[in-house]
Amino acid sequence: MISAWALPLIPTLGAAVIIGSASRSAAMGVGGQAAAEPLEAAARRRLGRIAVGVALVTLLAGIGVAATQAATSFRWSDRLSLELASDGFARVMVILVPLIGVCVLAYASAEEEAAGLPRLLALLCAFLGAMELLVLANDFLTLLIGFELVGACSWALIGHHWRDRLGHRAANHAFLVTRFGDLGLFIAAGAAFSAGESLSFSALESLPPDALNVVAGGVLLAAAAKSAQLPFSPWLFSAMRGPTPVSALLHSATMVAAGAYVLIRLAPAFEPTGWFGPTVAGIGLATAIAGGVVAALHTEIKKVLAASTSAQYGLMFVAVGAGSAAASSLHLVAHAAFKALLFLGAGIAIHAAGTGDLRRMRLGSSLREVRVLFAIGALALAAVPPLGGSFTKEAVVDAASARSLGLGLGVLIAGLLSALYAGRVQLLAFGRGEAVARRRPGLGPLVSLGILALVSIALGGLWLPIGEELAGKVLGSALPHGPGWAVPASLASVATGLGLVWWLGARGALVTIGLRPWGERAADAWLGLGPATGRGIADLIERLSNALAVLDDRAVDAGIRAAVRTGSAISRLSSTVVEIRIDAVVRGIARCATALAYGSRMADDRGLDAAAEGVARGVGAGGRRARQLQSGFVHHYYVLLSAGFAVAVLVLLWLR
Amino acid sequence: MLTASIFIPLGGAGLLWLRRDMEPRLARLIALGVSMVPLILMAAAWIRFQPGPGLHFQLIESVPWIPTLGVSYRVGVDGLSLPLAALTALLFTVSIAYPVDLKGRAAEYFGFFLFLEFASLGVFLALDLFLFYVFWDLTLVGMYFLIGVWGHGEEARRAALKFFLYTLAGSLVMLLAILGLYLATEPRTFDMAEIIRQRPLAGGGLRASLVFLGLAIGFGIKTPLVPVHTWLPPAHVDAPAPASAILAGVLLKMGTYGFVRISLSMMPETFRRYALPLAIFAVVSIVYGALVALAQPNLKRRIAYTSVNHMGYTILGIAAAGAVVLGSETARALAMTGAIVEMVAHGVITGALFLISGSIWQRAKTYEIDELGGLAGRAPWLTAAASVAAFASLGLPGLAGFVAEFQIFVGTFAVYPVLAGIALLGIIITAALFLLMLQRLFLGDLPERWADWPRLERSERWGLAVLILFIILIGVVPAPLLAVIQPTADALIELLGTP
Repeated sequence: MISAWALPLIPTLGAAVIIGSASRSAAMGVGGQAAAEPLEAAARRRLGRIAVGVALVTLLAGIGVAATQAATSFRWSDRLSLELASDGFARVMVILVPLIGVCVLAYASAEEEAAGLPRLLALLCAFLGAMELLVLANDFLTLLIGFELVGACSWALIGHHWRDRLGHRAANHAFLVTRFGDLGLFIAAGAAFSAGESLSFSALESLPPDALNVVAGGVLLAAAAKSAQLPFSPWLFSAMRGPTPVSALLHSATMVAAGAYVLIRLAPAFEPTGWFGPTVAGIGLATAIAGGVVAALHTEIKKVLAASTSAQYGLMFVAVGAGSAAASSLHLVAHAAFKALLFLGAGIAIHAAGTGDLRRMRLGSSLREVRVLFAIGALALAAVPPLGGSFTKEAVVDAASARSLGLGLGVLIAGLLSALYAGRVQLLAFGRGEAVARRRPGLGPLVSLGILALVSIALGGLWLPIGEELAGKVLGSALPHGPGWAVPASLASVATGLGLVWWLGARGALVTIGLRPWGERAADAWLGLGPATGRGIADLIERLSNALAVLDDRAVDAGIRAAVRTGSAISRLSSTVVEIRIDAVVRGIARCATALAYGSRMADDRGLDAAAEGVARGVGAGGRRARQLQSGFVHHYYVLLSAGFAVAVLVLLWLR
Repeated sequence: MLTASIFIPLGGAGLLWLRRDMEPRLARLIALGVSMVPLILMAAAWIRFQPGPGLHFQLIESVPWIPTLGVSYRVGVDGLSLPLAALTALLFTVSIAYPVDLKGRAAEYFGFFLFLEFASLGVFLALDLFLFYVFWDLTLVGMYFLIGVWGHGEEARRAALKFFLYTLAGSLVMLLAILGLYLATEPRTFDMAEIIRQRPLAGGGLRASLVFLGLAIGFGIKTPLVPVHTWLPPAHVDAPAPASAILAGVLLKMGTYGFVRISLSMMPETFRRYALPLAIFAVVSIVYGALVALAQPNLKRRIAYTSVNHMGYTILGIAAAGAVVLGSETARALAMTGAIVEMVAHGVITGALFLISGSIWQRAKTYEIDELGGLAGRAPWLTAAASVAAFASLGLPGLAGFVAEFQIFVGTFAVYPVLAGIALLGIIITAALFLLMLQRLFLGDLPERWADWPRLERSERWGLAVLILFIILIGVVPAPLLAVIQPTADALIELLGTP
């Protein structure tokens, strides 16, 4: 029996081992000359072996946990504890996450630049750990912890190139947008606890309707932000500043998957609200179509894939909203495999072409093996049978069209767009051309791509009755069946999309789809959403904060300063009065003493003289010291103190 | 044992003041050694402390002082004061060890530090209101000299004076309120446990309100709540970094401690009535503090304003706990637990942040964020420590702040859902301001002039490592801390009664 804690802990400890095993300067990727020094090939291999080993061990542990359905908890206090459970779809996810992780880590350790490589690998491992925690979460506290931790890992990974100013700006954008979504989970946790005194998912059933509405709203906010749905989609574009393996992991099995995953997990509990399903489906469909348009227009390979990620998660939202969590889960799995494959392939293409610009690629003649592997991913994305991606997309179509005709038709449009951008990116990136690869991938990255391609193909087994039955058994619910027209119509839409690609390609208009330059600009701005959500809100907050800072200095403090001025004026006044009196007294005493001394000199010129003068000097000095005391801060103290006591006495007399 | 932990630092301070020409190294060693004593004693107290249901003080030491007035020297701990006293001992040891510009007056500096430790421990451990007030005012004196003499910049003296007068004004109002409370006891006593039992002024009325208001003003200034916070930023900017760490980590807690120990415990009926206004002040502090912090180009001012924000969370939790009519007892106890954890968490986190800003000042002689940059390359450990502290401050799970803020939000949501929702915006603004701070200080290109940025000294590394260790420990394994705090939080909720 293996504890569920092993899954988050193994990669986290692994990350520490990786950092520890690398020398300090290499670990941080810092230090003027040290950074330029290439990491020795042997050291690189060793790091790669450790990182892949960590992911493999996690994978094995994941299989163990899934098999035993291990559940456990960690106590914080009488009221709070972290609950982990591996049931239902979680059993698939705990295996899927490290599986993708193995491929991505193998790729990263071989392909990525040496500077900061240990940090990159360590953070990727930690990322896996955080995601495993999220997947196993069985209550809102653990879920929130997982959500925030994957967000923080993404921040560090997107800003991996830490000297690049745009890089950390992008990282901040991603972190802030998704954290805004996490606020939804805070709200959900608060609402669940206030109504049911429990944060456990199992307590959702017994919540009163009002509380359930709030919880559902909070979860939806968090899920939409993480899965880059409208209106949060543009943060995924920012996330593209990170290294390619980061994108591969982020889009397929971790960060972005978290949103859809949590909906799959919790949506059935929210059904009583009535509005939850249709809203989720609506958001999903809008994102699927908008993301499809953006992906079809953009000319940068990673951003095309990023927009397609939003669109594909949109389809998962549609399935959940239409009431079929099973269809959504299957599409998540298939998407994870082909999207990781496509991103890793894109990374190879970018290294080979020296740019991410699709207009300057066409590496097909030069990188044949990559071309084939990438094509498997692209065909899966386009949902061409018999690949796994096609079955899962048909399941989404079935679920949507079983719910309503409009939803079904919408998904068909989204499917057409998928086929269009998938075919377009394949032809532009790996179409035949004269381009010669500047750099060729090693064996490791190709094996990674191969494994992911094999998974995509193997998922085609779902088309077989036995495959479908098995999936239903694992997911605990049967797959949806739509009206008879659904599958043929869907295949027709895919064919139309691919046909469009062919037609545009033949006319040489594949890059712009005839919409230049308007289309490109619109796509880069995420149809205007990017500037609106990003700059608009950020500017607003910045202006507000600057205004408040000025206000704080001038107005709030001014009141206090005025009070102090009044106070010190009074104290100056009183101190002058007091000082004059004290001075007078002191001077008087001194004068008396002098007079006395004078008198005594008459009497005894010698004996008393010295003593009297001494007294006079002493008293005089005492007076000076008293005056010094008066002009320091101390008199403020006394004035305030005596004023305070006076008021105290008055108040108490009055109250008695 | 507690008495020893209070007075041994005073003895150390006396020794250092008497031998003012002492060598700096020796003075530092003596101060460090002396400050270790309370730390060890607090660890021992933690072990001997028996968390249990009900509000009762433990490890009490008591000597009659002015029997005719019902004043006695009495110290002891419960689940509220023990964590704060332990935090105080920890922060003082680390701060004393931290390097600072001694301005050639080493022995005096360390003397004032030990004196301040004596007074601060006294505030948290005192179980007599009169004693509490005496210690409270003594902390002002200690901090006044630390800022005024060892502060930097032309403004240090002015800032020190402003701090002194402002908080003194607050403490005088508080004194009036304490006297009002005292005069309502029958038989007359300053014994905290006895006053809590007696519940003076339970009938309400103008007098109860005035006393409550006086306490709220006194504690509110110290906390500080908006709009009486403006003494804090200048004091922080001009204070030497270790003093800043103490000011934020220990002295601010006295305000929130007072709210719980005196306002809430001694006048629960009145507190119940004023919970909502207090919560509104808290939410204003949260959002306003975060927004103003975001606009600060000065590192220390920025961290100072985040204290306004974080102490707002604490007050929000306390206020929600006191709102008896709304929300279940469980949720309110959760909010109270969160508020107490926040005091500890903020102490450690902000202490670390101010010490880090001190390390930057020692090397760059500036706090202007825009003049720095790219330090990750030269100072990886400083970067790592600052990242952990900043993420802890913005409430990342796995670090101390989250444990506090999660409980405060979830607990408060059951009481004031709308206020909790508004307060949530604070955590997104805090996230923005800390990320931007990290970015501008450590990322990007290293300006030419910092090319030979010196590495951290051993005392800096150790000090930060200890604080970071506690930040992570509280974040990952909060159970031992919660086990001490929660029974007291439950008892406070019980004390407030049912609607």
